[in-house]
Amino acid sequence: MKTSTPDKKWFDDLIVELRLRQVNGPAIGDTVASARELLADTGQDAQDAFGPARDYAASLELPRDDRGLWRGAALWSSLAGLIVFLTFTQALVPWARGEPLLFSPAQLALLGVTVLLIALLPLYLTAAIRHPWLLGLLFAIGGAAGFLSSVVAPETVDEAWLVLAAAPWLAGSAAAMVLVSLGNTIRVLRRGSVDDITDPLQAPASRRKRSGLVLALVTAWLFPLFAGLMFALVTVFLR
Amino acid sequence: MPGEWPSDWLRATLGLLALRALEAGPSYGYAIIAELERNGLGVIKGGTLYPLLTRYEAAGLVATEWRPGDAGPGRKYFALTDRGRTELQRSRTDWTRFTWATTSYLDADRPNKENLA
Repeated sequence: MKTSTPDKKWFDDLIVELRLRQVNGPAIGDTVASARELLADTGQDAQDAFGPARDYAASLELPRDDRGLWRGAALWSSLAGLIVFLTFTQALVPWARGEPLLFSPAQLALLGVTVLLIALLPLYLTAAIRHPWLLGLLFAIGGAAGFLSSVVAPETVDEAWLVLAAAPWLAGSAAAMVLVSLGNTIRVLRRGSVDDITDPLQAPASRRKRSGLVLALVTAWLFPLFAGLMFALVTVFLR
Repeated sequence: MPGEWPSDWLRATLGLLALRALEAGPSYGYAIIAELERNGLGVIKGGTLYPLLTRYEAAGLVATEWRPGDAGPGRKYFALTDRGRTELQRSRTDWTRFTWATTSYLDADRPNKENLA
């Protein structure tokens, strides 16, 4: 059955709502397939047949998956990866120039805004997923704080409030990034196909697409990949 | 007003009616809805029926099985389990007693307090 645009939006919303309820992938696949089956039989719109996706997801009362929290472990390791990545980017250029890491109070306060936004993400994640504009706003605030922090960065050691050697922070953050990614890789391999949304008519053995696993593993190593790319560029152009 | 019953009535009886619709054998969403409509019980929406069937599946009253469709998508068939059949029988007996008592009380010819006094 070809899904019309309003129905596609409804199904996307349904999947997000079920994910937020920590329903596992096969159960989501079953719910989506049975809803599509009825729409194909009746010719109705998803909204008419099932009502708002959020209410429908709640009314199904599907069990939460106990094999790990969809948001929990994945979210915290992503946040840790992001904070470590930001530390790496702060230390990279000073290290390449053979200079120390310099901070002013205003710069630390602005960097603190970014860290606070990231650390408090679990509190507003549900709202941010349901309202993409909120996510955009948060990115804008984080980006503005990052830009302003570079504007108020001290240029000499005399102007700095805090002076740190760049090399240990660079090496430490790079090692931490690799450790976080290793942890993510183990989590992805252990969780296996529990998050995959699968067609209920497919045999379990053929459910997991290899591309899905590769994508999950690439995502787990995204920060070290970017960091490696930045390191290569900075080494070529600044050292 | 055939098929247009107060929503409260349908909400109260839909569980029993859905189990009854499966009594003859396994069936799927649209067929259950069509069966209830054909019997004058109104058009039940998927958003009402599926959550009920999902709860019944969790409670062990119905079992489900996906079967490939002839041309279109596959179909999810719902079938009564032994527990579901027992529940249907119990609910049917209770409902019959309840409607008998209700109908009897609503009977216009039945003497009321004033008549008795």
